[in-house]
Amino acid sequence: MLIDVVMPQLGESVVEGVVVKWLVEVGQAVAKDQPLLEISTDKVDAEIPSPAAGKVTQILVTPGETVPIREVLARMETDPAAAAPVEEVPEKWDEETEGFPGHMARASAPPIPVPPRIETSALPPSAHPAAARIRITPVVARMAAERGLDLSRIPGTGIDGRVTRKDVEAYLASGEARPAGPPKAVPAPVPKPTVVPPATGAGPAPKAAPPTTSGEDQVVPWTPIRKKIAEHMVRSKHTSPHVHIFAEVDMHKVAAARARSKKEGVNLTYLPFVIHAAAKALRETPVMNAIVTGESTVLKKDIHIAVAVDTEKGLLVPVLRHADRMSLSEISAAMDDFGARAKSGKISPDELSGGTFSITNPGIRGNLFGTPIINQPQVGILRLGQIVKRPVVIAANGEDSIVIRPMMYLCCAYDHRVIDGVAGNGFLYRVREILEAGDFF
Amino acid sequence: MLVTYIEAIRQAMDEELARDRNVLLMGEDVGLMGGAFKASAGLQGKHGADRVVDMPISESLIVGAGVGLAVQGMRPILEMQFIDFISCGFDQVVNTAATLRYRHGGQTACPIVIRGPSGGGVHGGLYHSQNPEAWFCHVPGLKVVAPATAYDAKGLLKSAIRDDDPVIYFEHKFLYRRIKEEIPAEEYLVPIGKAALRKEGRDLTVITYGAPVHAVMKAARDMAAEVDIEVIDLRTLLPIDWATVKASARKTGKVLIVHEARLTGGVGGEVAARIAQDCFEDLDGPVVRLAARDVHTPFAPAMEEYVLPNQEKITEAIRKLAAY
Repeated sequence: MLIDVVMPQLGESVVEGVVVKWLVEVGQAVAKDQPLLEISTDKVDAEIPSPAAGKVTQILVTPGETVPIREVLARMETDPAAAAPVEEVPEKWDEETEGFPGHMARASAPPIPVPPRIETSALPPSAHPAAARIRITPVVARMAAERGLDLSRIPGTGIDGRVTRKDVEAYLASGEARPAGPPKAVPAPVPKPTVVPPATGAGPAPKAAPPTTSGEDQVVPWTPIRKKIAEHMVRSKHTSPHVHIFAEVDMHKVAAARARSKKEGVNLTYLPFVIHAAAKALRETPVMNAIVTGESTVLKKDIHIAVAVDTEKGLLVPVLRHADRMSLSEISAAMDDFGARAKSGKISPDELSGGTFSITNPGIRGNLFGTPIINQPQVGILRLGQIVKRPVVIAANGEDSIVIRPMMYLCCAYDHRVIDGVAGNGFLYRVREILEAGDFF
Repeated sequence: MLVTYIEAIRQAMDEELARDRNVLLMGEDVGLMGGAFKASAGLQGKHGADRVVDMPISESLIVGAGVGLAVQGMRPILEMQFIDFISCGFDQVVNTAATLRYRHGGQTACPIVIRGPSGGGVHGGLYHSQNPEAWFCHVPGLKVVAPATAYDAKGLLKSAIRDDDPVIYFEHKFLYRRIKEEIPAEEYLVPIGKAALRKEGRDLTVITYGAPVHAVMKAARDMAAEVDIEVIDLRTLLPIDWATVKASARKTGKVLIVHEARLTGGVGGEVAARIAQDCFEDLDGPVVRLAARDVHTPFAPAMEEYVLPNQEKITEAIRKLAAY
């Protein structure tokens, strides 16, 4: 039977998704639930599982295409051998009845096979002569393995002649014990037996010990968002060789501009100034305003700056679209709006996607500087350091003097696969220049 | 200060009633009569009839009312006249009290203590000798404690009253007036979730709780010449102090578990399974359990002796395991 693979709706407000990559080819046999393709939506990236077992007969969209929900992505011929045909129309989610016994009994998986009365062992019965068996205990087995002892030489004093821990200890103390392997050059005093298991070639790498938790500790399983963030962070670090560069920026003109706006009744933070300067510098350094797809860099025409906003549920990164066309006060107003809506959870998925560059600001409880992680698939990110008043040396009228200036370390991370030092350094230099020039309008 | 086990319980309630206005004591005959065993003697006179409250004979009502009060911020102590009858309030315990925190996503707690006399050895017959702690150890959201000494009886009850989760407190009626023990005059607490290492030893560990602690200690002293026994008193049965249990099992390699509750489905089964699973390579013998036979506790003294663990059976079990 020929069936359609359609774009699923992966969230309430999600109306479309971008096909990132096909994981199967036309003609390929696939199992039910085998991932067919990767899609990316405003909210999530996801793999689309195969609705049935069968063969892919047609792929209708190419990677990069944006597809509305319920649109057909591919066609497949179901495997006639695979169980009964899958129910065509999935049962409708019914809030009234979900969770009631009827739902619990609903058959959503293949029936459980009935076990045979007696399942015979595939192995022949063990031919272990009971008489030759040496009775031991688990700890004795371990001690013998660790020390390479021949158990048949240790007299057992336990019930039925069992060799117990005490017997092994007595045997070791008696000095009769000799390593079972070839004798080594042993120093005169009997060495303490090592507790290293015998080497058996390249063994598996030691597993990380599970963390010990006491009763007071709280184990917090990752939420889907946390998982997403974790995956993204690891992927970014693996994908992009990060170069972190720092500029020390004299913010006194920005401070003066803030003071002027305040007099006019407009309360601006430092962040809009940095966004403004970055947008300007990005326009002049197109390679920084880019995304990577596969083995190409896409220089983006529009400058959409993603700005990290902290919320109760985690980090959100809403995007200021066309930041280079916005005035300072527009940027400021947009940021205030994002901040307010992020708190009430009213930022739409659309507003979280499409960024071409990112800026992160640790806020009023910030610190001197930090090394941010690139927001994939972008190629650069800026991080604001704390603004601290410091004595700095300036040259005025041909003479050096020390003045007090509000200084800020600005860190830029760039993807060294795509950006060379000249471009990266030039970009950060420009941001600094714009901020120090104080010409924002 | 020299006190009996039951006096330690009375003092704990008296001190907590005085310390915190939200603490209440509710149960059958706890007020005017001072409790069937006099565990609350004098408390109603001292703290008032609105705080030490006589309740109708309905354990379901006592627990249910306690849960409601706890939700409103009170810290009720709910006495079962005999812990055998907690089964009448079972639904309130396992479906209401134990689930409350979970159902509310951690936003509310259920600070109740359910306490009552458990255990046999007093010829109480089948309705007045039970040890039903294992039922509750199966239920997440509860804490279960079973003190064996006057010191622990007082310290654990005070901790239970201050705990934000429902705590089932099994006091052993055999110990009520048979124990006289020196306890500190000043205030102290015994933490929930921490076992007591009653005696250090190298050859064999006995893990126990409640009344058998005393018989095990006697055996450990009497048999000192033939086997060096380590004794662990679990004190808290949910959550069990696994660190202490496993450390001892690894050290001696031989473990005997003794409890007065029945063998099948008892707490000892869980302890044995965990040791077998996590300490297998350190074991020098099978993990052995000694518990009541799988029958109801008989009234006839000779039959009761036959059913429950006693000094003789403990000695025999230790001897057998030591020789393994």
